[in-house]
Amino acid sequence: MKTAVLGKYMPLNSPIHNLDPRAKIIAMFLLIVAVFVPQNYFVTLGLFAIILICVIISRIGFKYILQAFKPLIFMMFFLLVINILTVKNGTLLASIGPLSIYTGALSSTLAVVTRLVMMIMLTTLLTATTKPLDLTLGIEYILGPLKIVKFPVHEVAMMISIALRFIPTIIEETMRIMNSQKSRGVDFEEGKLKEKISAILSLIVPLFAAAFQRAYDLADAMEARGYVPGANRTKYRKLAYRFSDFVVIFFSIAILGLSIASRFVL
Amino acid sequence: MAIKFKSLSYVYDYGMPYAHKAVDSIDLAIREGVITAVIGETGSGKSTMVEHLNALLLPTEGELEVLDYNIIANEKTKGLKNLRKQVGLVFQFSEYQLFEETVIKDVAFGPKNFGMSEEEATKKAMMALKLVGLDESYYELSPLELSGGQKRRVAIAGILASEPKVIVLDEPTAGLDPRGAKDMINLFVELNKKFNTTVIIVSHDNEMVYNYCEDVVVMKKGKVGFHGKTVDLFWDNKMLEDFNLLEPQIVTFKKYLMEKGFELKKEDRTIEAIAKRVAKEVNG
Repeated sequence: MKTAVLGKYMPLNSPIHNLDPRAKIIAMFLLIVAVFVPQNYFVTLGLFAIILICVIISRIGFKYILQAFKPLIFMMFFLLVINILTVKNGTLLASIGPLSIYTGALSSTLAVVTRLVMMIMLTTLLTATTKPLDLTLGIEYILGPLKIVKFPVHEVAMMISIALRFIPTIIEETMRIMNSQKSRGVDFEEGKLKEKISAILSLIVPLFAAAFQRAYDLADAMEARGYVPGANRTKYRKLAYRFSDFVVIFFSIAILGLSIASRFVL
Repeated sequence: MAIKFKSLSYVYDYGMPYAHKAVDSIDLAIREGVITAVIGETGSGKSTMVEHLNALLLPTEGELEVLDYNIIANEKTKGLKNLRKQVGLVFQFSEYQLFEETVIKDVAFGPKNFGMSEEEATKKAMMALKLVGLDESYYELSPLELSGGQKRRVAIAGILASEPKVIVLDEPTAGLDPRGAKDMINLFVELNKKFNTTVIIVSHDNEMVYNYCEDVVVMKKGKVGFHGKTVDLFWDNKMLEDFNLLEPQIVTFKKYLMEKGFELKKEDRTIEAIAKRVAKEVNG
């Protein structure tokens, strides 16, 4: 499935792949905040350069990142239109009938779009370099302190990891059912509305039937191995910070600090 | 006419860092009107190869000739829907494709998609259901309530109802009880005899392959390791070893009988044929 690039893990070996998932989540969080702190163009450019360097180090390739943008092109266009219609400051650039375009609209669109682009690059970087299960393990560790207020951290993490675990399975299943139905003459791309509805039905019904069956089987398998929700559990994999993880977190904090400080200094 | 693969390759996730070449420039001519088995280890490219036959996968390189169609890599071929009518593909665990409210509607779904009228499609569905051994009492049942074996039969009927000239089956007997598996295979043998249907079976079951399939293709790491008569493959110890295949029990048994002085022929493939020959010799 070529469209499902968003959030797909890329099995490569790079310094970023080898970081502790917690360090990556924290760093991503800090950098996104840094990106969204109002700032001048130099700081934005600097942040962009840093993110680009991270992408290069991760070796996932710009082609992959570009594919992640595809679903967002429409949203960016929409933002531009809204901004042109609403923002009325700066100097007047052009006016067509009742529509008038101000420099303020363009610059604020540019500001929002560059931030969105950077945010997408960061999140793609995280999901492309971290195995889904490591990601949930990281989230579980980070949310750990919430156990004190009786937040079911482990259950939530388990639900996330089960959901993530079954995404590829369900994609595979979808492909298989689509192929079976294509073999029976279903055309998923073309056809009238009525044919389209029938085509979708021929996919959805078997998919749901199989998903429910799988959920029952999984529940049985978990119970058979003694899974009790909320029980005290030990972990097969324990996370441990290494020097490089501290370096990454330190730099992320420094970058966030600098981008906040730049507001007052520059 | 044969089904011809001409230096055909298929690469999954072409152009991505994790691209994977599943079929590696194979040249192959599968005879029409014959039952051919495709065997090989898991991940050897069997399924990828057969999914080209009705253009579910289009070759990354090379070309494929099937019936009147010539599918060339990177070129658009017209009328793929009609190709899919003529080449029926039954997937592994085909029971998951069922979705209509009733068995008869589900089986008629394919023919209707291929342009038949409601009545015609229903008529074809009834014929197909009869072929797979399900009578009128099943017509109005929900396909989701049937047992695994019955679901499989309904799914196969769904393909047969379109009356394909070539039928491709991916592990058709996996998960069926021995009786059901034998009935299933006999159905394909009968189709082949009656309508001269080309049958291509992807299987791991060497016994079944030896007993029922005239030709065999062995896939190994995306390439064709062997293509020829089934008997030639299973009587060749070196090839069995090379392809990591088990000798069918009947071959072992026949070799033992021959050692003991029975005059058996290579063509006696089934246990019945061997029994007849032995009985003849014993009774004089």
